Amino acid sequence: MNIKHHPTEETLMAYASGSMSQAMELLVATHMTVCPACRKKVAEFEAMGGAVLESATSMDMTDHSLDHVMAMLERETANENLAVEELPITRKVAVGESITGSAMPSIPTPLIEMLPEGVTSLEDIPWKTLAPGVKHYQLKSVESKGTVRLMKIAPGVSIPDHGHHGHEMTLLIKGSYIDDIGRFRAGDVADLSDDVDHQPIADTAEECICLIATDAPMKFSGFLPKLLQPFFGI
Amino acid sequence: MTGTVTKRPGPADPVEAKKCADWIVSIAATRDREAFARLFAHFAPRVKAYMFRFGGNSETAEELAQEAMMQVWRKAHLFNPSKAAASTWIFTIARNLRIDRFRQRKHIEVDDSDTALIVDGDPLADEVVSRDEHAVLVKSALEDLPADQKTVVELSFFEDCSHSEIAERLDIPLGTVKSRLRLALGKMRSGLEDLA
Repeated sequence: MNIKHHPTEETLMAYASGSMSQAMELLVATHMTVCPACRKKVAEFEAMGGAVLESATSMDMTDHSLDHVMAMLERETANENLAVEELPITRKVAVGESITGSAMPSIPTPLIEMLPEGVTSLEDIPWKTLAPGVKHYQLKSVESKGTVRLMKIAPGVSIPDHGHHGHEMTLLIKGSYIDDIGRFRAGDVADLSDDVDHQPIADTAEECICLIATDAPMKFSGFLPKLLQPFFGI
Repeated sequence: MTGTVTKRPGPADPVEAKKCADWIVSIAATRDREAFARLFAHFAPRVKAYMFRFGGNSETAEELAQEAMMQVWRKAHLFNPSKAAASTWIFTIARNLRIDRFRQRKHIEVDDSDTALIVDGDPLADEVVSRDEHAVLVKSALEDLPADQKTVVELSFFEDCSHSEIAERLDIPLGTVKSRLRLALGKMRSGLEDLA
């Protein structure tokens, strides 16, 4: 994969500081799995977090706090042999072949964890039709703020021109699309703030599958798109 | 004194970043209680202040600082000094614990053993400074920032604020928050390059 579009620095910083919605965090962690450059930047921002921790105010611990902690750890260590370590269950979800060579190698773990049990490929996802040529699957998050969904767009289909009230990010998983900004291929992220309008058109060669996270509902311009809004429910 | 907030001009007990990293390594290797006590003295009050900013309650902050330090003990074997400085690693533990407790969910992270993981050809080629040296440079660069830039950096890390919430809080436009952050980042980066 040759990633050309990344989340903005502010977005990566918000990820590192832990101040973004779960929906956005999922998208960033999925992108980072296939993007060593962004992992490195996030590590740099986490070092900034460490520096803030070092240089900011501190608050005295209560008396005997350390003794208390030490005593609890002693008990834990004594029981260590009894503890059974749970092995993580490794699931794999296939992305499938892309005829244009634009596909993630497989679905990254952060995203797999949000998919229903038993899904082993993108085909198994219980897609729901939103509009002709457009299907989606809404992922459930613990937090009410923000939404995150997978979208499957048929070749050559255009998503209505829309702007954003808040922050929207799109991560390409398979296939590609073109909008006013450029061409987006697997691994690329379109990181759009609220002042951008765009009208993505899926590549004509194959369907496009992407992950879209928003902090606020999208707003569509024009009459027909407004009719679509209830279907999108976003 | 419980609940006393003290502003310290830099660490009151200056501890070198390298020493902190060595202590964690020593905890992992020999369950070194002495090293843990020193690490606790340095970091627990800082983590407590961090938690206090989010929870606003000194008992909860104390409890979470204790829990974070217990995680340091339990996870010491996962600490890799060539990947992160002690302060960076402990910050991520505190951040994740804070999200777990206050937002009732896990911080979503990259799985290092993911089959989908794409790694850099030569990740360490441009690493000229150690993680500990890097942490010291980042800290001094942070302290040298103009006050307005330093404030947005601190609010970004020490409050559960989005950039638009920081804008509201400081009563400045969102664009200004972003430009101050960018300036701060630029300064911190060029500071690192000069010193490296």
